[in-house]
Amino acid sequence: MPVIRLLILLAALFGSPAYADRAVLSGALCAPALADQIAALGALAEAGATGGKDEAAWARTVVEAVDARALRCAASLAFIGEGDAALDAASLAPSPAPVDAAPMPINNRLRAAAASAAAALTLFVDTEPAARAKAATTLERRREALSLTILDAALAAETEPTVLAVLEPLRARMMLADPDPQNRIRAIDAIAAETTLRNRTLIAEALSEEADTTVQAAGQAAMARIDRQIAIGQVLATLYSGLSYASVLLLAALGLAIIFGLMGVINLAQGEFIMIGAYAAWFVQNAIRALLPGLIDWYLIIALPISFLVAALVGVVMEALVLRRLYNRPLMTLLATWAVSLLLINLVRVTIGTQNLEFHQPFYVVGGVPVVGDFIVTLNRLFAIAIAALAFVGVVLLLRVTTFGMNVRAVAQNRAMAGAAGIDARQTDRLAIALGSGLAGLAGVALAPLYNVNPNMGAGFIVDSFMVVVLGGVGSLAGAVAASFGIGQINVIMEPLYGAVAAKVVVLLLVIAFIQRRPEGLFAPKGRR
Amino acid sequence: MMGGGMLFRVIALSLAALTIALPILGGPLAGSGIGISPYLANIIGQIATFALLAIALDLIWGFAGVLSLGHGLFFALGGYLIAMHMLKDGYVNAGVVPDLMTFMGWTELPGYWAFFESFPYAAVLILVLPGLLAFAYGWISFRSRVSGVSFAIITQALTYVAMLLMFRNDTGFGGNNGMTGFVSLLGMPMGAPSTAVWLATASTAAALGAFLLCGRLVRSPFGRMLIAVRDDEARLRFLGYDPVWPKLAAWTLSGVMAAIAGALYAPQVGIINPRLLSPEVSIEIAVWVALGGRGTLSGAVIGAVVISALKFWLTGFAPDLWPFILSLLVLIVVVGLPNGLTDLRLPKLKGARHGG
Repeated sequence: MPVIRLLILLAALFGSPAYADRAVLSGALCAPALADQIAALGALAEAGATGGKDEAAWARTVVEAVDARALRCAASLAFIGEGDAALDAASLAPSPAPVDAAPMPINNRLRAAAASAAAALTLFVDTEPAARAKAATTLERRREALSLTILDAALAAETEPTVLAVLEPLRARMMLADPDPQNRIRAIDAIAAETTLRNRTLIAEALSEEADTTVQAAGQAAMARIDRQIAIGQVLATLYSGLSYASVLLLAALGLAIIFGLMGVINLAQGEFIMIGAYAAWFVQNAIRALLPGLIDWYLIIALPISFLVAALVGVVMEALVLRRLYNRPLMTLLATWAVSLLLINLVRVTIGTQNLEFHQPFYVVGGVPVVGDFIVTLNRLFAIAIAALAFVGVVLLLRVTTFGMNVRAVAQNRAMAGAAGIDARQTDRLAIALGSGLAGLAGVALAPLYNVNPNMGAGFIVDSFMVVVLGGVGSLAGAVAASFGIGQINVIMEPLYGAVAAKVVVLLLVIAFIQRRPEGLFAPKGRR
Repeated sequence: MMGGGMLFRVIALSLAALTIALPILGGPLAGSGIGISPYLANIIGQIATFALLAIALDLIWGFAGVLSLGHGLFFALGGYLIAMHMLKDGYVNAGVVPDLMTFMGWTELPGYWAFFESFPYAAVLILVLPGLLAFAYGWISFRSRVSGVSFAIITQALTYVAMLLMFRNDTGFGGNNGMTGFVSLLGMPMGAPSTAVWLATASTAAALGAFLLCGRLVRSPFGRMLIAVRDDEARLRFLGYDPVWPKLAAWTLSGVMAAIAGALYAPQVGIINPRLLSPEVSIEIAVWVALGGRGTLSGAVIGAVVISALKFWLTGFAPDLWPFILSLLVLIVVVGLPNGLTDLRLPKLKGARHGG
């Protein structure tokens, strides 16, 4: 009674459209031709991908039934299982299969397509990341039931990086394998929109098997475009890492320059004050972890004032015990501050040890923002740059606006006259030492997420900071900024090309050449000395 | 107090006595009760090279007021040159392949090793190369009136860069392993007791020679000029003198003396490597002079002898303690005894020295 069946079908259609769709989708598996059956598997996977989790779960059950040879067909209706125990493939409700229901014929191509569809649907059904990652690798090999629609839906829903790392290139390869050359060109352009080295490799792989000349031309153009972007990215990345090195240098050199400009004292222990700042940050981290674990992510921020104060305190103690007695003997202060640095290094070595300290990496110093090519604005470097910028603004304001700043400038210009005008020069010295040492302490915090923190970390910075002071001129802030950026950039630009030695040699030769013409530094104040 | 006086004579006589006694006590009398073991002779020889190095630095710092924190550069240069001679000599005459060739897989030494098997050639280079280097850097700096702290820092940076350069393995100077495995020097086999004694004797003789030479020099009109440069360079210039040439002469002589010290040192320790170029070594030289007393040659010798003897003794059983002792010693002397240990003996001079 075909009419009644049709009526039932219509009722089902109107009563529950989803089931009707499912009936059509699953019924399509019973098509006589193999190609149609494979297409049906693809349609099932696509329906699951776009229809939500329930739909995906259902589709996977049906597809797995195909793979398990459990699917039976009776007049374009599919059933799972045999006889009275059978389920209706559309609703998965028990529904005895008609006696004429025949097992669906299975061959290897169909099984491969079924496996592909099952893997695709697993991406939407399984909550276990490992299972999804396994499904994604299966899809790399078996693309029979895979479509761009499915992949796009999966990419939109996926959050697990390991799965994304498989799916993203897979999508690119799918697009590049399109039979229509126009689509392939479009695919190349779409891939080249994100100019990373990985995408360049993908296009190069595709082009090695490409026969169509227009596609070849488009691919070559896209690769040239990516190459250009990557080159720009590399230049930017170099400049950026130079900028971050320069900011740490600036923090260290700013303190040196202030002390040198005021007292003619070069503090050879400045590098060790950086180390003290980093160790203070480490202690802050451990204290917060023990007492206020909820704030652990913010320890670097909390450490900023503390590291500043600790390093400033060490500086003030050094001034009170040593430097105060050496004001007219600047060369002796070199030896004295060197002795202090030796003492500090060995004190830390004996009390805490020589190993590199472990630092928790809070979210604001992890990862970065991709900009162009492979250039990523990494947050740990940005953190250092931000600290340096803020500290620099603070120092400028302090020296330009406050009374203390005026005193510093007055004493630096003429100590005797400043004293005659009622400025306590020794008090000013002490505060300036505290400021200069504290800035080195800040540099230590800025370095904590970037560099190895150990008792010897200061030694690497000391020569470069001096060069900044010599090049930047005495007590000149603008000069210190210009010099630290110049030296920072020369270091990072030369290093990959000719090695660290060449960078240092060039900086040194520049400094020696420069000091010939301007012994007072880059932006020396005009006037007699 | 220009290096004359009682103390000067005592030190000159002691050095002379050592120079005469070492070959006798270390040679025929070695086994007897008053004999000197080769080990002790070796230590005396090393300390004598340090004394020579301190005299070299004191000439330029104590008298001309120019602090160098890079005398390790000249010291190491002398050491590397003599090491190159010994390695090449061993390679050519004894067939001993230098380690650095094996390490780099070279079948022959680079071109700049040519003629190094000849001792006179190496000896001339030991005098000329450091002299040229010192002259070039001094000329550039003094002419443009770079002085004081800037000069000191740049000498240290130069030494630091040289260290980085020598740490590279492809430069042909042995990289971080340096040079070792010397066979002989002037026909004397390395490691033999007599060689140790003769090297020590040569070192004390060199220290004595430098001590007497510099003693004469600082008492001469030239020495007066140096002291004038130290005390008030601007006034000297105003009086119509050019301070560049006396400074340059003293600086170059100082560099050459430091190189000779290095050339005597390297055979005695049997190795040369870039660690001699580290900033710490150069600063330690300045510490000897500061501790002994700048501006008196006797002080420089005393400082070098006392501190390096203390270091030899202490690093034997408490190497971790040495940095603490050294840094505290420096702080105490720098703060409490502005003219070094000689202050302990002398009544306080009226008015501290200038040019600190």
